[in-house]
Amino acid sequence: MSVIETRELRKTYGRIQALKGVSLRVEKGQIYGLLGQNGAGKTTLIKILLGITQLTDGDARLLDAPAGNTAVRARVGYLPEDHQFPGYHSAYSLMDFYGQLYGVSRGDRRQKIPATLELVGIAGRMHSKIKTYSKGMKQRLGIAQALLHDPDVIFLDEPTDGVDPVGRKEIRALMATLKDRGHTIFLNSHLLGEVELICDRVAILQRGELVREGTIAELTAQKGVFELGLAPSQAFPEHEAKALGYPVRALNPTATLWEVGLTDGQTIDPLVRMLVEKGLSLRHLVEKKVTLEDVFMSVVEGAEPGTDRRERKATAVGGSDR
Amino acid sequence: MTQFLAILRDSFREAVDGFVIYAMLGLSALTILIVGSMSFTPVAPQEAMGKIASRFSIIVPERGRSRSVSFGTSGEFKASDVTTAGSGYKLRLTVTGHAEKKSTDDGKTVPDLTNGDSFRSAVAQWIGKSGQSMSIDPSGKASKKGGGGKNVEVSMPTQPTAEEQRAVTTAQMEEFLVNQFAMQGGMTATVKRITDGVAEPTYAFDVTTAGGSGVRGWPHKVEIFFGAVNISDEAPLGMVLWGIEDQIINGMGAGVALLISIIMTAFFVPNMIRKGSVDLLISKPIGRTPLLVYKYIGGLTFIFLVSTVTVGGIWLAIALRSGFWDPTFLVLIPVLTFTFAILYSISVMVGVLTRSPIVAMLATMGSMFFFWIAGFAKRWADSKRNDNEVGSTPEWLFMVIDTINTIMPRYKDLDTITSKLIADGTLTPAETRMVGLASLEYPSGIETFGVSLAFIAVMLAIACWKFKRRDS
Ligand SMILES: Nc1ncnc2c1ncn2[C@@H]1O[C@H](COP(=O)(O)OP(=O)(O)OP(=O)(O)O)[C@@H](O)[C@H]1O
Ligand SMILES: [Mg+2]
Repeated sequence: MSVIETRELRKTYGRIQALKGVSLRVEKGQIYGLLGQNGAGKTTLIKILLGITQLTDGDARLLDAPAGNTAVRARVGYLPEDHQFPGYHSAYSLMDFYGQLYGVSRGDRRQKIPATLELVGIAGRMHSKIKTYSKGMKQRLGIAQALLHDPDVIFLDEPTDGVDPVGRKEIRALMATLKDRGHTIFLNSHLLGEVELICDRVAILQRGELVREGTIAELTAQKGVFELGLAPSQAFPEHEAKALGYPVRALNPTATLWEVGLTDGQTIDPLVRMLVEKGLSLRHLVEKKVTLEDVFMSVVEGAEPGTDRRERKATAVGGSDR
Repeated sequence: MTQFLAILRDSFREAVDGFVIYAMLGLSALTILIVGSMSFTPVAPQEAMGKIASRFSIIVPERGRSRSVSFGTSGEFKASDVTTAGSGYKLRLTVTGHAEKKSTDDGKTVPDLTNGDSFRSAVAQWIGKSGQSMSIDPSGKASKKGGGGKNVEVSMPTQPTAEEQRAVTTAQMEEFLVNQFAMQGGMTATVKRITDGVAEPTYAFDVTTAGGSGVRGWPHKVEIFFGAVNISDEAPLGMVLWGIEDQIINGMGAGVALLISIIMTAFFVPNMIRKGSVDLLISKPIGRTPLLVYKYIGGLTFIFLVSTVTVGGIWLAIALRSGFWDPTFLVLIPVLTFTFAILYSISVMVGVLTRSPIVAMLATMGSMFFFWIAGFAKRWADSKRNDNEVGSTPEWLFMVIDTINTIMPRYKDLDTITSKLIADGTLTPAETRMVGLASLEYPSGIETFGVSLAFIAVMLAIACWKFKRRDS
């Protein structure tokens, strides 16, 4: 049983097609990252799953119930993007209020609220009015309120937005802990480095369409490219390398750094041996790693940077909405 | 239930966050203080009984059941030998009547007892039907028949015949006086006629009253601001209390309170559904309809508490200072809350549609004004039709007025009900007639509340429907 499942999910806001048939599955205990440019439809997808927004077509299920089921929401935590807490509450009273809505008992609230706020590092100010909080403090409170009732699934829409580097690291650790405890986390983020560090699976949305989906390992799969450099003043034997069957090219004009590709079944070893035999000294050899950022960039390459610039002529790759 | 209470508590927190509530509570504390600064000192029994007896020349025909009053010349009522007796007083009431006149053959008129006297005539008038009556509306304009509005009905004194006057029995005289003590003094009395040594047209009665000096009609010396300002030396207690409760608190205070409440609560729903806030709430395991309805009830409960504190405080101040513990004034608490419920449903509906507190506020105040006008228009139309003065007024105007009145909340009717209840709780029956409230019918409670409740339901239904369909 999947915790989250969408099939051919579509959503249109008037003339804007926010989602154009998205199908994805999230299994229990995963940290699932949803990436995409601004306006790609990430928030829309979460809102549909939570019943905040109605889907136009297709199917969306959360915890084995149709999206938007009221009772199921008791098992779900949600940190919205751009949230605004009522300023008349303190962190404590707000958590108490939400706890009551979630049906957390009074005893549990009394014990869990300070503990959860401690977890996100704002317990010291929990009795001050929220209107006196800094942006990052509000964000931490947002995370805390999504965890209070020990939900099975936690939706975090850009959770580290506005949080300082130390806080980000703490939040990452927190997510890891939650995952270990069996919670499922659905994460929207623009911080690819972060996503790469903690997510099990990742999906990339591009203007309402799912363009990539898979584990981090699958997406950043080794492409078999090496970067190689010799001691200064030594020339790289380009022709010999090509003769061995390696595609090579210089990475800089002075030809001190070279990129060497591997063709099927090849390893880098014959080349290294050849260099040593020729008496050349190897100074630099790294296997080029593809980062999630590289993957993301290659996916969205040529596509519009965001919704605001859809009219741009040069970027009319997949056809425009209008 | 937990969710309901949680939202209720959240509404309170929101309400006490702003300064408006403190302005409101400040005003209410000030009002309580001012009322508490009043002092009511009963006039001494001898003088007070004299005052009350002097009002006996005002007769309410049909044994006190008529809505009209008649100003007779029923002779002079005098109270003497007033002594304390138990919880009330004992006194001797002397009526000095004047014999009816008879014209002699030479064209002169002379008193003739066989034709009766002014006291017997008064009793006969009291027993008999009221004469042709005339309504005087609040502007002082007289008309033949009331249109159901606030009118003083004055009936022309009838002239009972000699037979009718002779037929008046001692028991009827006693009944008349018992009734007068109730009508004019608001007190119960037992009356026994004394005939020894008294000859008609003079009558004497032994009277025992109950209720001491705290009864509605008892003249009081009234001062305000802790004795600094004298309001009256001999105003009937009930009349003063009515002035405070109905004219000042119900008339002006309630209006101000409603306006402040509208301003304060207009922010609740737009704030709740503001972008960034609404997602937080509707992602919780609670439906949108309960969410909105609870929020609505939250606003109402809040106003209920504020009016309980204010009205209760004023009532307590009045009761403590005057010794008059009639609880009718407290009816203002549910009525104010209900009136606010009507207005707040509009505020919630407009708030959901526009998300703007300012628009919600203005629309609500506009409706308040509109209902008020509609109530007046209805009265006007009714009185026109009653008087057959329709004339050139176009028929459609009546139709529009009637239709609006049928479907709109009975804002004015609520006010009428409160005014009448307060008057019935403070004024003597005669005073109720004198201030024109007796001519006003109690509007049908079922209709008033039924139509208003239906209106509230419609407003909330539109709001919920819109809120449910919204992609936040
Ligand atoms: N309430 C709405 N009414 C109309 N259009 C909307 C609404 N909400 C979102 N959209 C549109 O739907 C598209 C997807 O928006 P969404 O908020 O899901 O993007 P996102 O991927 O979360 O972007 P970001 O990274 O900026 O948060 C955008 O084109 C946006 O303009
Ligand atoms: Mg978003």
